[in-house]
Amino acid sequence: MFMLFMQTTGLVGLAVAENPHERLRILYTKILGVLQNIPKEAAYRKYTEQIVNQRFNLVRTETDVQKLQDKLNSGHIEEVIVQAENELSLARKMIQWKPWEPLVEEPPSDQWRWPI
Amino acid sequence: TVRPKNEVEQKQLCAFGEYVAEILPKYIQQVQVTCFNELELLIHPDGIIPVLTFLRDHTNAQFKSLADLTAVDVPSRQYRFEIVYNLLSLRFSCRIRVKTYTDELTPVDSAVSVHKAANWYEREVWDMYGVFFANHPDLRRILTDYGFEGHPFRKDFPLSGYVEV
Repeated sequence: MFMLFMQTTGLVGLAVAENPHERLRILYTKILGVLQNIPKEAAYRKYTEQIVNQRFNLVRTETDVQKLQDKLNSGHIEEVIVQAENELSLARKMIQWKPWEPLVEEPPSDQWRWPI
Repeated sequence: TVRPKNEVEQKQLCAFGEYVAEILPKYIQQVQVTCFNELELLIHPDGIIPVLTFLRDHTNAQFKSLADLTAVDVPSRQYRFEIVYNLLSLRFSCRIRVKTYTDELTPVDSAVSVHKAANWYEREVWDMYGVFFANHPDLRRILTDYGFEGHPFRKDFPLSGYVEV
């Protein structure tokens, strides 16, 4: 009886990613490119660049998938890829919403008082 | 017996609250951490979708699960209804509460585009309080009877209703 050489992530709906380093490299470069369109003082740009550069360096230095997963400490490598895709879509939406501007409107003075 | 105070968790929640407030100053009006270590973000109603998408998608705040969506009626305020979203992060095992306000006639953006789970919760808030959600795919009554008039959970709705059964 020969075993089929098939891996699974163990998670429903997530297929095993072949060549995750390449995919992550593409995604992180795209995210950094999108972040260039945000003003430099925005906290979102600062923190996201920090996170992305940290992960990017880990992806560049570590070639073994298992060790990369342990170093990133963020679940399976496929989950890291999904998270990077989410971050990319979020960065694109942030450019439209511009959340670094000052507060839109102050609430009425009794709005958040508790007890009333 | 007194509930033990978890200072470490309180500090972590405070730090995370400041982090989010620094990234989204346009919509966040206030951040508070209750004595039971619950983080709350108080939002302007225009910022519901940006804040919820940020909390869902950002790497440091993967709040993928919408646990609850309710409303609170405080009739003495100018904006009487307070919409409350409870989110849970499975990656970081953390909960967060997002609160917005509205009055009876102003519509609020629907969270269905961010979290599919909000569908029936928003139908319930519409049925029970009368808060209209814009861009909701199917906003109709869910708990009251078919010809029912009125919004039962409002504070000015009497306990045994207007119609005799």
